[in-house]
Amino acid sequence: MKLAQHRHLDALTGEYMLGTLRGGARRRFERALREEPTVALRLRNLQRDFTPRYSQRIAATPPPAGWKRLERELKLSQHRAPWYSRVVFLRAWALGVTAAFVFGIALLALRATTDTTLTPIAQLALKGAPPSVTAALSSDGATLELRAERPIVAGPLRSYELWLIPEGGAPISLAVLGQIDATLRIPAAQVGRLRPGAQLAITVEPVGGSPTGGPTGPVILSGAIS
Amino acid sequence: MLDEQEIKRLLLATAARDVDAFARLYKRCAPLLLGVAQRITRRRELAEEVLHDSFTRIWRAADTFDPLGAPVGWLTTIVRNRAIDVMETHDVSRVDSYHAALDDKPEASLDQMFDWGSTTEAGDALDESRLLTFLRRCLGELAANERQSLVLAYEHGLSHGDLAVHLAKPLGTVKTWVRRGMLNLRSCVDRCTGAAR
Repeated sequence: MKLAQHRHLDALTGEYMLGTLRGGARRRFERALREEPTVALRLRNLQRDFTPRYSQRIAATPPPAGWKRLERELKLSQHRAPWYSRVVFLRAWALGVTAAFVFGIALLALRATTDTTLTPIAQLALKGAPPSVTAALSSDGATLELRAERPIVAGPLRSYELWLIPEGGAPISLAVLGQIDATLRIPAAQVGRLRPGAQLAITVEPVGGSPTGGPTGPVILSGAIS
Repeated sequence: MLDEQEIKRLLLATAARDVDAFARLYKRCAPLLLGVAQRITRRRELAEEVLHDSFTRIWRAADTFDPLGAPVGWLTTIVRNRAIDVMETHDVSRVDSYHAALDDKPEASLDQMFDWGSTTEAGDALDESRLLTFLRRCLGELAANERQSLVLAYEHGLSHGDLAVHLAKPLGTVKTWVRRGMLNLRSCVDRCTGAAR
C-alpha cells in the first residue's frame, strides 16, 4: 500500500520530523519521500510550519580540519576547474576564435546576408556573488545566448526558467531550460523588449516550467540589461 | 539566525555542483548544525562525525532538496537523523547518560535552544515569524506530559523507548503522548493561522 493512503500519514510524518520514527519504519518513510509526491509535500508543509528556529546560542565551533576533510573525501577539487585546464581552455579558445574568424571572413565573402553577431547585454549573478553567466543578444534581437562558467544542470524534478522583467512590468517567461548554458530563440512578441532598464532573472521551477505563468521558485541568478 | 533565502540559494547552487557555494554553506551552517548534533550525541567527537557525515549527505543529496521547501529544516532533519543513527550504532546507554544531563523541566529549555522572535520585517519573513510565535504559544498550551515528550524527543533525539525509561511510564502511554502532542500542536497552529488570515 502506498504510504500516501495510510490513515496515519499525518502522525507518521510528524514522528519522522520529530525523530521518533526509527529503523524499518523510517526507511519505509524515506523511500516514500522519494517515490510519493504526496508524502514529500506533507513533510514539506510540516517542516515549514513546525520547525522551530534553532538559536545561535547552541552553535559550536566546527573542527578546524573539518572542511579540508570533506574536500578530500568528496574529491571536491575535481569540480573546480584547475588553473592548467584554464590555460588549455584559453589556448583552445584562442584557436577556436582564430578559426571562427577565418571561417567568418570566408562566410561573409560568400554570403553577406544574415548578421548573427552576439553582443553581451547582461551579467547574471547569484546575489552577492561575482557574475557567473553572460547573456548575449544577436543584433536582430531574436537569439539569446546564455554562457555559464560551468554548465548548471537542473535536477530531475525541476527546470530553470528565464524571465524578462521590463522596467515597472511583470515577469515574462522567455524560456524553460534544462541547463543554464544554451542558445535560445526569443519569442517573436518579446523581440526588441530586451532593452536597458529591464532585468533578466532565472528561477528554479517544477519540471516543465512554472505552473502559474509567473515565477514560483526562488531566483538563483539575475542581472540588469545594460 | 540563519537567512533562509541565502541558505536556499546556496543549497540550489550546491545541487548544481558549485563547490564555492557548498563551502559557503558549510561556513554558514556548520556551527549551528554541530550544536544540534551535540544536543543529541552529548559527545563532541560523535557530534563532529555526525557533522561530517551530514555534509557528505548534503553534497550528495542536494539535488533532492525541494526548492519550495524549508532549507534549514531540511538540513537539520539530515543532522538529527544521522545523530540518532550514530547513537543507535554506538553502544552507549542513552538514558543513563541523559539522566544527569536532562533538565527536570525540559520545556524551559525551549527558550534557550530556539529563537521565537522576529528579526526581519518584510514579506515571507513576517509570516515566518508569526508562525514561530504561534508555534511557541501552542507548545505552551499542550498538556505538560505531551509537551515534555515532544521537547525531549526533538531536542535530544530520544526514541519512544528512551522516553518511556526516562519518564518511567509504559511505552504505550509515551507513544500516545507523542502522537497526541503532535496532533494537538498541529490543530492549534492551524487554528491560529486560520484565525490570523
